[in-house]
Amino acid sequence: MRPALLIVALIVFAALLGPFLLPYDHASIDWDSVRVGLFTDGHLLGTDDLGRDRLARLLVGTRVTLSVALAAAMVALVIGVAWGAIAGWVGGRTDELMMRIVDGLYALPFMFVVILLMVVFGRSILLVFLGIGFVEWLTMARVVRGQVIALKQRPFILAAEAAGSPARATLLRHILPNVAGVAVAYLMLTVPHVVMIESFLSFLGLGVQEPLTSLGILVNEGAEEMDMNPAALLLPGGVLVLLIASLTIAGERFRDRLADATK
Amino acid sequence: MSEGYVVRNLRVCVGDHVIVEDISFTLSPGEIVALAGASGAGKSMSAMTPFGLSAGVASGSARLDGIDMVGLPERELSRIRAEKVGFVFQQPLTALTPHRTVGQHLHEAATQAGGAKPTTDVMVAMLDAVGLSRPEERLAQYPHRLSGGERQRVLIAAALAHGPRYLVADEPVSALDAALRGEIMALLVRLCRERGMAMLLVSHDLAGIEHHADRLLLLDSGKVAESGSAKQIASSPATDYGRRLMAATPRLSEPLSPLPETGEVLLEVEGAHVHFPKPGWRRGRLDAVLDASLTLAKGETLALVGGSGSGKSTLGRAIAGLGPMASGTVRWQGELLPPRQRRSAEHRGLIQPVFQDPLASLDPRWTIADIIGEPLRWLAPDAERHRPAQDLLEEVGLPRDFASRKPASLSGGQAQRVAIARALSANPEMLLLDEATSALDPLVADGVVSLFGRLQRERGLSMLFITHDLALARRTAHRIAVMEAGRIVECGSREELFANPQAEATKRLIAASG
Amino acid sequence: MGRLIARRLLTAIPTLLAIIVLSFVLMRVAPGGPFDGERPLAPEVRAALEAAYGLDKSLPEQVWLYLTRLAQGDFGPSMVYRDFTVSGLIAEALPVSLLIGGCALLLASVLGISAGLWAALRAGKWQDEVLMLGATLLTALPTFVTGPLLALIFGLWLGWLPVSGQNDGGSWLVLPGVALGLPVTGAVAKLARAGLAGELGADHIRAARARGIAPLTILRRHALRPALVPVASYLGPAAAALLTGAVVIETVFGLPGLGRYFVQGALNRDYPLVLGVVTLYAGLIILFNLFADLIYGWLDPRMREG
Repeated sequence: MRPALLIVALIVFAALLGPFLLPYDHASIDWDSVRVGLFTDGHLLGTDDLGRDRLARLLVGTRVTLSVALAAAMVALVIGVAWGAIAGWVGGRTDELMMRIVDGLYALPFMFVVILLMVVFGRSILLVFLGIGFVEWLTMARVVRGQVIALKQRPFILAAEAAGSPARATLLRHILPNVAGVAVAYLMLTVPHVVMIESFLSFLGLGVQEPLTSLGILVNEGAEEMDMNPAALLLPGGVLVLLIASLTIAGERFRDRLADATK
Repeated sequence: MSEGYVVRNLRVCVGDHVIVEDISFTLSPGEIVALAGASGAGKSMSAMTPFGLSAGVASGSARLDGIDMVGLPERELSRIRAEKVGFVFQQPLTALTPHRTVGQHLHEAATQAGGAKPTTDVMVAMLDAVGLSRPEERLAQYPHRLSGGERQRVLIAAALAHGPRYLVADEPVSALDAALRGEIMALLVRLCRERGMAMLLVSHDLAGIEHHADRLLLLDSGKVAESGSAKQIASSPATDYGRRLMAATPRLSEPLSPLPETGEVLLEVEGAHVHFPKPGWRRGRLDAVLDASLTLAKGETLALVGGSGSGKSTLGRAIAGLGPMASGTVRWQGELLPPRQRRSAEHRGLIQPVFQDPLASLDPRWTIADIIGEPLRWLAPDAERHRPAQDLLEEVGLPRDFASRKPASLSGGQAQRVAIARALSANPEMLLLDEATSALDPLVADGVVSLFGRLQRERGLSMLFITHDLALARRTAHRIAVMEAGRIVECGSREELFANPQAEATKRLIAASG
Repeated sequence: MGRLIARRLLTAIPTLLAIIVLSFVLMRVAPGGPFDGERPLAPEVRAALEAAYGLDKSLPEQVWLYLTRLAQGDFGPSMVYRDFTVSGLIAEALPVSLLIGGCALLLASVLGISAGLWAALRAGKWQDEVLMLGATLLTALPTFVTGPLLALIFGLWLGWLPVSGQNDGGSWLVLPGVALGLPVTGAVAKLARAGLAGELGADHIRAARARGIAPLTILRRHALRPALVPVASYLGPAAAALLTGAVVIETVFGLPGLGRYFVQGALNRDYPLVLGVVTLYAGLIILFNLFADLIYGWLDPRMREG
């Protein structure tokens, strides 16, 4: 978990602080050095064919990808926890109906739905994460519901009832705090997934739009000039893979540790 | 070649931890030797490790028919297991492979040592011998179709299929329903005697062992505390540990100890019905409790006894307002108590529960002080009457500084005492004890039972004591009600009930409790 | 088992209907239409076109019309690729997608399952750790990174394999199939490893060991089937996604598959084409989930009762 978290932290710090330390921003054009190679004219990673600093674009792209992912994961968290907690807590037919809806949504060709949403409602960054959040909450809802049902059967919930605790208080004071750990673990696993989807959409030109950039856009640009300049593909691609892999590893370790602790 | 299983100075380690040390015993042909003790004493480890069936590493010696198994490679251990030994495990629900039929299991077991392929008739006879009904149909069935007791019978049949000389049974009945335990145990013993097999029995049920085992080893934290003839140890243990353990084990044969005087009737339950909807959209009804009536006096303990699924917990919860009740009345000193949701704080405070699983009864994220204070917050909002959590901890026999701890740092017994302190903080008149000691080790359980006795004397508490253990009920309760299939089939004072049992269910329970 | 299948199919119909109606409505409320080209059309031409495709009718009427035609197996005409029916376009594109997806699926199940089982048998050792780290890295490989990268290395630098379009042999399939299959391979390996490692610690395995059954026999006879249940439950939906949804891979390698038609159709507001692909895809998901259920039933008889 440590090395994975360290990599995540490094990438996040670089994406947050890096752009302030560079003399160039991601969109301004340096007419004197268009398409220069590594370490040329003060451009550490060179410039692209419009003369924009590649390092600045990489850092800003990472930042955008991360923020969209975090925002979308939060949307998924809020909807998923609310849906799952209500279904699990109320139980009975409400639960059955709510989970049938989740099952039905699982059968949606969800990548197509996201693409459709993007195409139909224009390509605003807000919609990108709302759209992704709306398809990513399903797993969260299932996990939270399962956890709530397991907790509901624990005798301390019955003891709370015997202590006169009203249902709402029991939900807020006993159930939700005990669900929090699992929800955080799945939040950590949702983020890399959303990073992947966002980059995928941006790669297709359906996600983040210029002048903003994201890792997906950079990979797309890199793929077009890879025969001349492989670094243009390898750098954003490498950052993306590293980010997804280390987030996944950190999330899985956290989830497994939590599972061990509650055994 | 010397026959028998001879264990000398056995030591088992898991990693750097020494689990058991210096265990020695001899299992002669045809003999039954039991390893007993509290959980964590190392009984299963001592029995399983020499055969290569645990995570531990054995040293010392364990000679089976003259061959020392300690240090043998897995290949040879595997051959010894296949040829000479049959094993019965604790968890019948999971010890059969889900996608293989009963017949396939028996077939594999019969041929494990290279024996001839069994015909259908032979396999039917195997199932017949372990008392499984309709054996012909069973052969084609998958394990999930069978009940726990039926699966354990199949496992016993499989353990015997290759005609072993030795049987190792690891808590063979403790996962089964109380009413079945005696029957399955008796079956194992009878099969051993009939076939001249020797059995190494791991068990924590001290009350049963004296009837089944020839010799007994009492283990305490990985060492032999006492060993000798089972009857001898049961009747007059030689060591202090043995004496305490035997005293903590209720038996039907023990003399009745006096119980505190009781007062006027407080609780009257009449015609209680509870049913649950079956899951699914088109629901049926599942009747859990049918027409149950009972009374409870001040300072009295009434035991509700029955097998699992008899409805005893459901009835208890309905009375305490913690579960649904379809019809019937609950009165407290003549006043009608409303059902679950509409019960007022004052009424809720009257009856407080203590549940079976002590750690699951406490919210892992709360401190002990907060847990104990929870009833006060809702049931007694005016702060005058509050007693600090520390006082209650002291009353249940725990140190005052436990208040700032979290449940994870407590042992089972300590956690159960915290749950009792929480129940007491509401200042109740009656406790609902739902199998409150059955998850605890004998010595710890005995301590908690004595605590209940003391609280009853000091606070004049009434208790509804729900248990599957008839001997424990006889030791602690003024009166005993026996439940079966949702009905109270018999209710009487403990003297009457045992002197002159009326219902079939009662007679069966008494027989099963040996 | 029969009842389970019947119930699945019965719940599939409303799901399918809901998906169709939802996509239909979603596209109609969106701004823009199929005839909003760069050159504005004369109003009469536009009206005639709209009447020809039934766009002048009310929305419920259009939905009903579409559904009745769909019930006869007719996806309608494409609005952008004039003179083509959607069925015709799908018939052309589907085999391409199926071939790429099939390759990826084969790679993922064979390599993923064997690697996962191999690691589970060495659980806790360094081989296990390395393999599982590798599997996690594989799952982190987006197809739009590996696709171009593989094309660069094996196509442009080494010149071993074609990187664009189809050819007569099967070699055009290799790179897209591998790029698409790698992340799924990683996921399958992790699931197979977790499944078998969990199974090997189960009570019924200890019971079989107690009978002295040989380790390989235990693996084959007692452990393998239950261990693969999680893989089956993952591969159902994953197979549907692989067989049809390789949008990026088709773009990267310039292949005329279903995914490209879908994106193009959505961008051009080619309603019937988009609806046709969505319907087909949803149908395939349902079909593959049904396959997965059948496989479950074989792996574990408890699942047969539903």
